[in-house]
Amino acid sequence: MSFMPDFALAAPEIWVAAMICIVLVADLFVPGKNSATSYYLTLLTLAVAAWLTIDAQWGAEAMTFSDMYIADSLGVVLKVAIYGLAALAFVYSRDSLIRNKLMMGEFFVLGLFAVLGMMVLSSANSLLTIYVGLEMFSLAMYALVAFNRNSGTSAEAALKYFVLGALSSGILLYGMSMVYGGTGSLDLGEIAAVAAADGDNILLLFGLAFLIVGVAFKFGAVPFHMWIPDVYQGAPTPVTLYLGTAPKVASVALFMRLIGDGLGAFADQWQTMLIVLVILSLAVGNIAALVQTNFKRLLAYSTVSHVGFILLGLMAGTEEGYAAGLFYAVTYGITAAGAFAMVMLLQRDGHEIGDISDLRGLFQRHGWSALVLLLLMFSMTGIPGTVGFYAKLLVIQAAVNVGHIWLAALAIVFSVIGGFYYLKVLKVAFFDKPEGELEMVAPGGYRAVLAGNGLAVLLLGLFPQALIAVCMAALA
Amino acid sequence: MTAATSLITLIALPFLGSVIAAFLPSNARNREAWVAGALALGALAIVISLHSAVADGGVVRLQLPWVPLLGLEFSLRMDGFAWMFALLITGIGFLVVLYARYYMSPEDPVPRFFSFLLAFMGAMLGVVLSGNLIQLAFFWELTSLFSFLLIGYWHHTGAARDGARMALIITGTGGLALLGGILVLGHIVGSYELDVVLAAGDAIRAHPLYLPALLLILLGAFTKSAQFPFQFWLPDAMAAPTPVSAYLHSATMVKAGVFLLARLWPVLSGTQEWFWLVTAAGLSTLVLGAYLAMFQQDLKGLLAYSTISHLGLITLLLGMNTPIAAVAGIFHIMNHATFKASLFMAAGIIDHETGTRDMRRLRGLRKALPITATLAIVASAAMAGVPLMNGFLSKEMFYTEALHTTTPFPLLGELLTYAAVVWGIFSVIYSLRFIHGVFFGPPADDLPREPHEPPRWMRFPIELLVLACLLVGVIPGRTIEPYLHTAVQGVLGEATPEYSLAVWHGFTLPLMMSLGAMFGGIALYATLRRFLLNRVDGPPLVRLVGRRIFERTLVFLSWRLARPLEARLFTWRLQRQLLIMVVVTLLVATAVLWGTDFSLPPIDWSAISPGLALVWLAGMACAIGAAYMAKFHRLAALILLGGAGLATCVTFVWFSAPDLALTQLMVEIATTVLLLLGLRWLPRRIKDARSTVRERSRRLRDLVIACVAGGGLGGLAFLVMTRPLPDSIARFFVERAYSEGGGTNIVNVILVDFRGFDTFGEITVLGIVALTVYALLRRFRPAPESIQRPKQQRLAAAHDDAHAARPRGDSIPQHMLVPSVIMRLMFPAAGALAIYLFLRGHNMPGGGFVGGLTLAIAIILQYMTGGTRWFEARWRINAVRWIALGLLCAAATGLGSWLFGHPFLTSHTRYIEIPLLGALPFASALLFDVGVFLLVVGATALLLLALAHQSIRSHRGQGVPAPTVSRKEKS
Repeated sequence: MSFMPDFALAAPEIWVAAMICIVLVADLFVPGKNSATSYYLTLLTLAVAAWLTIDAQWGAEAMTFSDMYIADSLGVVLKVAIYGLAALAFVYSRDSLIRNKLMMGEFFVLGLFAVLGMMVLSSANSLLTIYVGLEMFSLAMYALVAFNRNSGTSAEAALKYFVLGALSSGILLYGMSMVYGGTGSLDLGEIAAVAAADGDNILLLFGLAFLIVGVAFKFGAVPFHMWIPDVYQGAPTPVTLYLGTAPKVASVALFMRLIGDGLGAFADQWQTMLIVLVILSLAVGNIAALVQTNFKRLLAYSTVSHVGFILLGLMAGTEEGYAAGLFYAVTYGITAAGAFAMVMLLQRDGHEIGDISDLRGLFQRHGWSALVLLLLMFSMTGIPGTVGFYAKLLVIQAAVNVGHIWLAALAIVFSVIGGFYYLKVLKVAFFDKPEGELEMVAPGGYRAVLAGNGLAVLLLGLFPQALIAVCMAALA
Repeated sequence: MTAATSLITLIALPFLGSVIAAFLPSNARNREAWVAGALALGALAIVISLHSAVADGGVVRLQLPWVPLLGLEFSLRMDGFAWMFALLITGIGFLVVLYARYYMSPEDPVPRFFSFLLAFMGAMLGVVLSGNLIQLAFFWELTSLFSFLLIGYWHHTGAARDGARMALIITGTGGLALLGGILVLGHIVGSYELDVVLAAGDAIRAHPLYLPALLLILLGAFTKSAQFPFQFWLPDAMAAPTPVSAYLHSATMVKAGVFLLARLWPVLSGTQEWFWLVTAAGLSTLVLGAYLAMFQQDLKGLLAYSTISHLGLITLLLGMNTPIAAVAGIFHIMNHATFKASLFMAAGIIDHETGTRDMRRLRGLRKALPITATLAIVASAAMAGVPLMNGFLSKEMFYTEALHTTTPFPLLGELLTYAAVVWGIFSVIYSLRFIHGVFFGPPADDLPREPHEPPRWMRFPIELLVLACLLVGVIPGRTIEPYLHTAVQGVLGEATPEYSLAVWHGFTLPLMMSLGAMFGGIALYATLRRFLLNRVDGPPLVRLVGRRIFERTLVFLSWRLARPLEARLFTWRLQRQLLIMVVVTLLVATAVLWGTDFSLPPIDWSAISPGLALVWLAGMACAIGAAYMAKFHRLAALILLGGAGLATCVTFVWFSAPDLALTQLMVEIATTVLLLLGLRWLPRRIKDARSTVRERSRRLRDLVIACVAGGGLGGLAFLVMTRPLPDSIARFFVERAYSEGGGTNIVNVILVDFRGFDTFGEITVLGIVALTVYALLRRFRPAPESIQRPKQQRLAAAHDDAHAARPRGDSIPQHMLVPSVIMRLMFPAAGALAIYLFLRGHNMPGGGFVGGLTLAIAIILQYMTGGTRWFEARWRINAVRWIALGLLCAAATGLGSWLFGHPFLTSHTRYIEIPLLGALPFASALLFDVGVFLLVVGATALLLLALAHQSIRSHRGQGVPAPTVSRKEKS
């Protein structure tokens, strides 16, 4: 037995970890306004990490660090999606951070730490690695939510998020200890073997229940969704953008590694739990979103409902279902990034977009950004021609194919209700009379990114083949 | 151009035109119309050229890879039926474009209009030409979307916005239901390809999921085709510009529903479910629509309800489960499209020329608009089903079928016959209202505008369509029959029945019914004319509730339900959120137990010694007390928490783990003290609110939940611990602690040897934490409410003030005199104990970690009894240096093993004889342990300093603005 683990296999993680230190130090010593060095170094880090990941891990199926770390295609898809969404979040955030005097190297260091945590999570093959990754990313997120130290709501949101998150991590950890108690192993492969052989293992069942609670919290599924509206509204919008996108993919990673890989044999049990989560998330998310007047809060509740859809795909417990959930999370991330960017890049009377009514007259003032908003909202509704349609189609199809027709029908009913509040946003943006100042504050480059984001939603909606193929290949 | 490429061109042309139109300048009305008209005409030409390919039941197909992973091809498929629809869509589309050129005013944003209209045409072509059901649903939703934009074209009017919104919600929802139905259908068949689905009729009808699929698909079709009870969106959609209405409500939008019914007729029909659902919807729509149409005062409103009624007829025919009825249905689709398009256009001309659509004001237009009047009269006659018109032919077929239909209930057959006649009468009446009321009688003189004949080319579309009505009505065999045959074959294929389109069948019962309806209608109209004319808009007897239900539902969902739901399910309060989380977790855990024959492993109660049980009881009581007091008295809670910790320590001792116990004890003390110091800065305890019953019951509830949750966790832990663990690492440590680590204190050996690397990481973290806490607290500003001196100090100061002899602050140094003297005396002893514990650590309970903690506690005690100022004046240790030294020491030890060619942190064990002290273990781990010791002391002291120093700072800062204080403190 070689004592030295194969470090090369985990090159992306090592690279990111090293770069975090470099960014941290560089920010201290490199002169320059607004942490431009940190910003570019961060983007470089993500780009190189993507290259390393794809180059070294795509199509591989290898383990290192005493089988605690796995490099496989699923990990690659998850990680590359995380890099992409994180990079998108950083790019969008820059202008807003500078304007609010929050442009500090710490933002990127914490952001990269979260990325690293999510990476570890995506490549975890042991309960221990999962937990390490999860905590690394959660702790960085807590800190990011509190990033605006002078804002009371930000601090309140961070504190709540931290306390609830700590409790949920505790529950998850407890579940892990049950699973360990029941199987005598931390290795997901071995756990799966024991689970397959011993279907009535009561400890595993208990552990599963706790694990689902922990996973549901990370997703923000009802009834563990309480933190989402608070945090989304309270956190600085750049952080909300980040929190609302990449971590959804990470949550899928958490589910697939922990539940899918580890406890796939208990599908009957966790399917029931997930069905409850799906129904509640769809119902509460959609109905509560109807009455929101604050745009960020509306997006928060809509996130809850989208989580319902992601879980609907995962619930199927088939490769098709996992791929659908993954596809949904990735495309939702792209769509949500654009929507939150709208909040940051537009200003009503010198402030960020707060209420939905702040968007009134957007079409008359900034026609193109209204069109982008249209595409984004259509995609969230699931209207054909945008990528959201395929996302919904895939998850519903997955549910139908495992025989949950009524659940699929329910999902459709709720997506109709969901359509209503997205249309409300569009109605305000397109039909209401423009009053007061509604400005696009960011420089031209940001508009280009935003337009590209809208275009991506459209193009992926017309030609989804490639992305679906990638998601399916990840699970094959 | 091959047939297949023609298909893709056909679909692409309108979308291309849509894009071109969108980029033309807004005042280019003519150019817009030219582009749109040319493209529509081109599309029409393509459709006509494709006739030969589909005439004899042929099918043109085109498949391009789209999302092959989902089994989705971009698949176009044109058979006779689709051809007929494509012909209607492009043909009437072209005429509407022509008409719109003259109808739209130059002020309207015309590019948008033509852009939407062409896009809609493309979407509609997509629906009828889709060879794949998912793709069909895709285009279906696109038609909903573009119809929304078209209906809401004049979005400055509220009616247009509301109408558009309602249309979109209803049809869009239906579209999603349809998608669901298609997914189920695809699940049954295993493919979404239309060819495959159409070939699998028997399998579908026999499948248990047939009914859900049918319901969902019908929901889609009925909402789109405005069938009862979803008919209410259609009249409101009349807020659209008239060309849009003419297009949407004759040949396209609303026909998509019946198109789908006919398209899937071969696979879905033939069952009882189909019969009941479809006929019921069709029949009620048929009668209701006609009835409501009679009472409209708005020209377009009348036409709208008449459209609903005719769609009901088509639905009814398709629902009757006989091929002949289906033929009649398909035939009526074509007829209705022709006469209804011309009628809408005529209504548009009247509106355009007179400035009003109110039938109470319009009369005698025959004089001003003679040609339009003639055309409209002919078209209305077709709508009423007058002989020699196309409407008559399909109506006769309907009557024949109504008479011959066989149902399990004879009564229903009769009902059908009577309903058919009643419908005929109603149709005649509203057609007469349109003809007689508007065009005859004395000319109106109070019209908003002086009417004139419209431009030549604005009338042309109507002329063409009316000519078609007449030709089909008079010589069906020579005009429509081959085309109808083509269309019918597309749906029925082999099952195409024998039918004849002759005008004259002899004096048959259906003809009698027709005539009866006609004369009955004329007579009734004559009687009711005045009554109908003077009414307010809307029918008697039937209050249409569909719309109100819809709006109520919207309000209910978006407001009445959502608000309380949000209020109930959401809370800002953290305690509530935590409560929900804990309760749900409990429920989930309990749910797992449900249904399993689970029981805790048996406990041998006699084996538990009463002493330990007592300790545990005390510990539990402390834990519960701590939880209970946490809100009311933090100090008490903390002390109780310490009690629970002590119980744990005792348990460790009890089970012969003194090393563990000692570590636990030290950690317990250090953390308690640090917490105590932090407590100083928290707000005062909350006022005890034991008074109300509500409060008390809530606390009781929380207590119960906490106990249940804790008990549950304890039980689970017990469950895990009583299971034999297959291969625990503990044995490894027990066996090798001495042989390989050279020590018998396993905790210490683990810390410094086996897991030395971990420890190295941990002490690094500890050092960082201490530095971070220090850095954070350096600029700490206490909350205003906790800045006050503690009560004891205030009392002492007041005492000093009251006695002139005592200088202020005199009492304070003395109030802890006795403990402080004792502690000062004890300090050397405590230090010696720390070193003792450290040195013996390798074999006996102790070690660097425990020793360090002991020394740190000794320091803390000095601080507590001596006071901050006294302590800081004598404090000589540079904590940061200790931390650094400790870390370096540990690292050096680790690196040292490299010198001897071993991996990092390899331990070397050896005993050294030292005079006086005897044999001392001298593992290289001891050096490492020194590092741990130094670091623990340094870190704890630094934390202490950071926390304790605040008490001086805040008092110094009293009365001074806070920011200045913190800046001063930086130095």
